[in-house]
Amino acid sequence: MVALVAAGALQGSSYHDDVHSAVGAGRQASANERPASRIVSLVPALTEMLFAIGAGSQVVAVSSYDDYPPETKRLARVGALLDPDVERILALRPDLVLTYGSQDALEAQLTRAGIRAFSYRHGGLDTLFRTLTDLGGVTGRTMEAARTADGIRRQLDAIRARVAGRPRPRVLLVFGREPQSLRQLYVSGGVGFLHEMIEIAGGTNVFADIRRESAQPSSETLLARAPAVILEIHEARTIAGADAARERATWAPFAAIPAVRNGRIHFLNGTYFTVPGPRVGLATEVFARTLHPEAFR
Amino acid sequence: MVLHLQHVSFEYVAENGFSIRDVSLTVERGSLTGLLGPNGCGKTTLLKLMAGVLRPGQGTITFAGGVLDDIPRRALARHIAVVPQETHPAFDYRVIEMVLMGRHPHLGPFALEGPGDLAIAHDALRATGTAHLASRSYMSLSGGEKQRVVIASALAQQPDVLLLDEPTASLDLAYQLEVAALLARLNHERGVTIVVATHDLNLAASICRTLVLVRGGRVLAQGATETVLNGDTIRQLYDVDADVRFHDRSGHLTVVPIGRIP
Amino acid sequence: MTSSTVATAVDGGLRPIRLRLALTLVGYGTLALLACVLAPLVGSTSISLSRVFDRSIPFADNVDAQIFFLARLPRVLAGATVGAMLASAGVVLQALLRNPLATPFTLGVSSGAALGAVLAITGGATAGLGPLSPVPLSSLAVACLVSAIIYALASRPGRPMSTNVLLLAGVTLNAFISALILLVQYFADFAETYRMLRWLMGDLDVGGFLPIVTVLPLFVVACVLFATLPSSLNLLSVGTETATTRGVSVARTQRLAFVSTALATSAAVTVAGPIGFVGIVVPHLVRLMTGVDHRIVLPASALFGAAFLVGCDLVARTVLAPVELPVGVVTAIIGGPFFLWLLVRRA
Repeated sequence: MVALVAAGALQGSSYHDDVHSAVGAGRQASANERPASRIVSLVPALTEMLFAIGAGSQVVAVSSYDDYPPETKRLARVGALLDPDVERILALRPDLVLTYGSQDALEAQLTRAGIRAFSYRHGGLDTLFRTLTDLGGVTGRTMEAARTADGIRRQLDAIRARVAGRPRPRVLLVFGREPQSLRQLYVSGGVGFLHEMIEIAGGTNVFADIRRESAQPSSETLLARAPAVILEIHEARTIAGADAARERATWAPFAAIPAVRNGRIHFLNGTYFTVPGPRVGLATEVFARTLHPEAFR
Repeated sequence: MVLHLQHVSFEYVAENGFSIRDVSLTVERGSLTGLLGPNGCGKTTLLKLMAGVLRPGQGTITFAGGVLDDIPRRALARHIAVVPQETHPAFDYRVIEMVLMGRHPHLGPFALEGPGDLAIAHDALRATGTAHLASRSYMSLSGGEKQRVVIASALAQQPDVLLLDEPTASLDLAYQLEVAALLARLNHERGVTIVVATHDLNLAASICRTLVLVRGGRVLAQGATETVLNGDTIRQLYDVDADVRFHDRSGHLTVVPIGRIP
Repeated sequence: MTSSTVATAVDGGLRPIRLRLALTLVGYGTLALLACVLAPLVGSTSISLSRVFDRSIPFADNVDAQIFFLARLPRVLAGATVGAMLASAGVVLQALLRNPLATPFTLGVSSGAALGAVLAITGGATAGLGPLSPVPLSSLAVACLVSAIIYALASRPGRPMSTNVLLLAGVTLNAFISALILLVQYFADFAETYRMLRWLMGDLDVGGFLPIVTVLPLFVVACVLFATLPSSLNLLSVGTETATTRGVSVARTQRLAFVSTALATSAAVTVAGPIGFVGIVVPHLVRLMTGVDHRIVLPASALFGAAFLVGCDLVARTVLAPVELPVGVVTAIIGGPFFLWLLVRRA
């Protein structure tokens, strides 16, 4: 969620170009150099990808926010987007460091130290697949990467098939808000992997026309868009029981919204929703099951 | 109304020592009394004590037979008014607004003055010769005009007792004489009891019938001006050799300083 | 003093206070009312007034009515009350500190509120108190705490408050708390930092009447206290000793002024975050139009402040529609240059 908001806040609509340049850098690295064997990953999504393609043993350190797969818990931590610990990173003598596209200063320091940097920016699902391929290249695991990518594609296709032909409800996807308050909601705009996941899962994003990854709609806009289903992603804490009842009650003043009126507010707990990694298929399936429960009986 | 101080002592801060020591004096009704002394002798402090702004550390102050402290502030304000040495409002009030503020102790709970209050304010302006300045901004006035306006606002309180702190200190000679004449007139014609704290010997000599000489927080001498104001007392007060004479043309005593006494 | 003399007296060019007060209340009251009535009609989504009040359409299906009553009306009312409170607090504080450049945030209340909000956001607080959600609750609590600290520092039992100490304590605490906020932000992750920044910009989109109703008691108490002050503030602003000799209890007036300002500012910041410039622009604009008598300036500022903030919010939510500017940005864009002009004019 950190990176997602960061991406939404920092980017305009030109992220596709940035991704291409990052991909270009990655590809060049794999053609000329040995497979990376001491990798430091600052991006949780990329860490997950590395483990998924069997390169987990090549990872020596991860970011402060990594928690999947469980193996990462034993690894050293070197900070994250805003506070990468450069000294620690250098001390680990990595041969590849996976960074965010906005971490220019860090990349400059790594280049000066002669360490390969792989720069990554969030994007849609096609970015995910391209990145998988690139990581396969730099770690010498191209076959596994292709297999993983195919696996994810099959998952997504299966979901598409399941919900095909069904009426597509208007969906509001909330990935951040303050407890007990509807002020400053962070919702998914019409760009990025969350938006694409909604569409695959058989829903229509009410903010599909917003050309940004995230938006902060006002009360007026929420009422005007009138979603039929509200999906709230909760990463930090599990929302259940009394908490869920309380958070549901927070929507009560807007009972005029169809989703609220019909009780279609769903709390989705889990850390895999906002990490555009190998578990994206799982996340999309959770969306689909929530939007079209009858398709999964 | 009689103001009576009995063995009054006062200190500003505990360790600094008393700025007023064992002062006993009486201000008789209808009198025009001068508090005379060098800077820092305690004149201003005495005035504030008389006004009830400061409380004596020791001794008692009575007003009209009752203890000054016991009189509610608002009631006291209807009888005693103070003209401070300097007035610097934080906002740009007009002269009429400044003077109307003097009506505060007489107003009801909503503090909105009526036609009667307005009349009294205009009367006060006229008495100080500032009626033509009524709609002007106070801050735009000259020093002399400001002082007269402040006196007018004190008069608007319709006090029995008027206390003034160095009323002529920043004024040109002409205005000094005007203010002096004004005070004398207020005292003679309206019977206002006046106490003036000043270091201006000639002002004191010209209008005050009673003098209290103050030095180092103590009363050096008090009584009728003719008795109290002479070369000896001035020497004790100011370390200055001076001649005190009756001046025919002005009709009162005048003080001519000769030189410092080393 | 004959009545004919009264009749010919020019009154110093001023109409009697009762008349002026009545005219002020009517004039500015109308302005505020107009603002509150017209603002909900305008917004980023176009709605039709006839549809809004069309009873034949059930509310659940009437999106225009929903937008009007659930989104816009609470927002306008929040803007009006917050604007009135901040403007009044500005007037009173300027009189208390005898400084026309004081704002409701000079005495540290808003930075206290900001610290409270920031701590709640990074602390991941989830539990509120009744209808108050964690961030406003924490914000109100810390704001009150900071006010209490400053009050204790400046209070001298039985004697008037030291306005110097008030000012210095406020400025110092502001600086100290700002540093604390920076520290908390440094350790926060990006999302939390962004949320903090957004909170600090102010937001009138309260989403329902409940947030306003919840702080209404504070507003009401503040208003009652404000009503007792104007005449004393006039006298106080001429000089504290002069005020004493005219029957004003200076210590009591100062305490009432401080408490009422703290209550009004804390409540306003709790509802809408710290919205700057209202507390200084409005009183000065009003003084330019009505003179400096607090009996006029205080009610006029409250009413004009309401209209002003409602107007700024209108601009904030329509000028770049559908993107909404934070209202604090609009008040700053208007208020900043105005403030500079004020300073230059005084120099």
